[in-house]
Amino acid sequence: MQKREEGPWKAHLNINIAGCSSDCAFESQGHRGRKLSAALRLSTEFTAKMASTPANWQWPVPRPLQQLFDYFPLVTYGTAELPARAQATTSDSVPTLFVFASEDDARLGAPSFNPGCLKWQTFLRLAGVAFRVLPSTNHASPTGALPFLLPVRPTTTPIPAGKLHTYALKHGTSPPSEPTTLRLEAYHSLLDLPIRNAWLHALYLDPAHTDLLEVFYTSPASSSPWIRDALRRQLRRAAEAEILKTGSYLSAAAAGTAVVDQEQVYTAAREALESLAALLAESETGWFFGEQAPTLFDAGVFAFTYLMVKYMDGNGEGDLGGMVKGAGDGELERHRKGVLDAAGWGEEV
Amino acid sequence: MVLELHVWGPAFGLPSIDPESLAATALITQTLPRNQYQLIQSSPSAVPTRTYLLPPSIPTELEATDISPDQLPTLYNPTTKTHHSGYSSIMSHFTSLYPPPKPPSRSAAATTTAYTAFLTSHAAPLLALSLYVSSANWSSTVRPAYSKILPFPLGWTEPPAIRTAMSRRAEHLGMSSLDTDAMEEKEEAEREAAAAQGWMSAPKGIGKGRGVGGAMVPEQRARIRLEGLAKEVLDVLGEVDWKGEGVEAGVRCLVWAYLALMVVPEVPRGWLVETVRGKYTRLGEFVDWGREEWFGTGVEGLPWRERMAEETVVSVGGRFVNGLMGDIPGFGEPWRRWWARRKLKVTGRVDALQEGSGELWQMAGMGVALMVGALLWRKLPQLGQPLQIWQKPLPGFLGLGAAGFVLTTFADQWR
Repeated sequence: MQKREEGPWKAHLNINIAGCSSDCAFESQGHRGRKLSAALRLSTEFTAKMASTPANWQWPVPRPLQQLFDYFPLVTYGTAELPARAQATTSDSVPTLFVFASEDDARLGAPSFNPGCLKWQTFLRLAGVAFRVLPSTNHASPTGALPFLLPVRPTTTPIPAGKLHTYALKHGTSPPSEPTTLRLEAYHSLLDLPIRNAWLHALYLDPAHTDLLEVFYTSPASSSPWIRDALRRQLRRAAEAEILKTGSYLSAAAAGTAVVDQEQVYTAAREALESLAALLAESETGWFFGEQAPTLFDAGVFAFTYLMVKYMDGNGEGDLGGMVKGAGDGELERHRKGVLDAAGWGEEV
Repeated sequence: MVLELHVWGPAFGLPSIDPESLAATALITQTLPRNQYQLIQSSPSAVPTRTYLLPPSIPTELEATDISPDQLPTLYNPTTKTHHSGYSSIMSHFTSLYPPPKPPSRSAAATTTAYTAFLTSHAAPLLALSLYVSSANWSSTVRPAYSKILPFPLGWTEPPAIRTAMSRRAEHLGMSSLDTDAMEEKEEAEREAAAAQGWMSAPKGIGKGRGVGGAMVPEQRARIRLEGLAKEVLDVLGEVDWKGEGVEAGVRCLVWAYLALMVVPEVPRGWLVETVRGKYTRLGEFVDWGREEWFGTGVEGLPWRERMAEETVVSVGGRFVNGLMGDIPGFGEPWRRWWARRKLKVTGRVDALQEGSGELWQMAGMGVALMVGALLWRKLPQLGQPLQIWQKPLPGFLGLGAAGFVLTTFADQWR
């Protein structure tokens, strides 16, 4: 290896010599030798210079500047306390769940208006975890998405939604069981796909619910009409992209021609709700998969059915509330009321 | 009455390259005798509801009917003059046309809906990982298959768009490392960024590619995670006896289609085939059974319609140009949105959400302004003197101007 590395070096020297000799062809032998040694000396000097570059670089700092910098740092501050607001918002005794909610709703612990947040809010209540709710936005979350939970104060690591399940099982007084059937996965995709798509479409794309979108997301974000308008467009585009990403839109999306087909979205949602109602009808306990108490799956279904009934009841084409109430023989409606009771919200919310 | 089913064309010895089209083909061959339907090879940009760059000329028989956006598969029923796009609506249209002797039980219908949703939300991304995200499989098997089924210039525009859409579909699985092209580009960009900031970078190949990890292809390196992803999907599918009586034909065909596309294509990185064949033999047998049972006569035996009828130079050219327009960076996105909405308007389904066109005109205006600006710029005379003179450098000291002249004089005297 060593030998081979010498190769290029040698070649380089040879070239130097050759170049030199052609230049000084008329000179004597001795002359050439001197010139060569001079070239070598030059190269060694050069490398020495390279090595000592850092030392040479340090120029003396001009005196006035040095005097000026002698004054720094003027004062070293101690570590700042948490702002008073932070002291008030977090608590020593109960963990805090950050969700999308209005100030008033949060104070009362009322259900959040975001299905993802409501699912976990419901589940924590079902599991018997004592917690309080604070309104927040995605920007506040360490994962970039709500909800997240801030445990009681000495612990400062927030718990993202993905880990809330284990947290609830550990800290809850009545941890729900978990159905073990693989069918759950299949039915869960009904929530992920057709029902979620219908919710997205109704809330973001359907002009009938623009005021709802305003109240939920755009007006809390800013008071400027310009920013609200831009935000609304952004949200709409994101919702549209989200719906188009799924299902048989895929090939059309590739051709760049996909438009959300409203009828298809609502038909799929109606079928999905029927399917859930049929699943519920098989169970004797009134909870999914014949469980004795509501589980995470029940919380997930409730999060959508509750919001659909509360906000989108009887609104023309996007009448998702009507779909929920009319699914099957009203199983989903009974289930919705059951979860409200079980989560301790009762009828008033 | 002859039903028309527009589907993606055949590939890998299966009647279609797209799972939903494949499922629709399987369903129609089981439901109808051969002389009552026709299969039409197509791509989403050519679904007959389209109007091309030519002025919108809607065939008269399509007026005032329910026209959906271009999706494949699409079923056209000439009796009712309706189009049904997407597998779910084809399935329900079939059920209304040919009601099964015994209506499915409530729970069977629920199972159908649930598993259809499951396949779309879980099996489709898995399939996308195997066929589209993985660079090796894409370039050696899938892309050539697309080139074969698309008419001539479209093979350049459509397959990459499909791959992008499919990769987006599988994004949440976090396996983008299978896409070695993208990874190489990313690394190159990182290296350039580092060089721009003044960092010396080690030459390619140093520090990488050593040891066992370096000798493995990305699929081998990520094998355990890939098998985990496949297990999540296949466990749920393996739970059900798909050949059994309690399963509706619609969902049986869809499951078969997804599994067939996982198992049948001969891909160089066959982790998915190996997983299905190795650990879920029942699913593998189901695929073979369906192939034998439904397409025993081979793909050519199906009633395909001659494809040349619709594919004039103008229409294919229009689709090609449209595809190119959609690929222009910055301009493509608004163009596609505008195009899609315009089509809806043409077909009488005016969307309440009209945002696309204003933006498109803005973009077009800016583009035109830029081009006009560039042309004007090139027409303008160069700044400074209207006449530029270039002189050949003079030999010797003369190149140094006046000083050179003096020096030359001295040199002459010295001599």
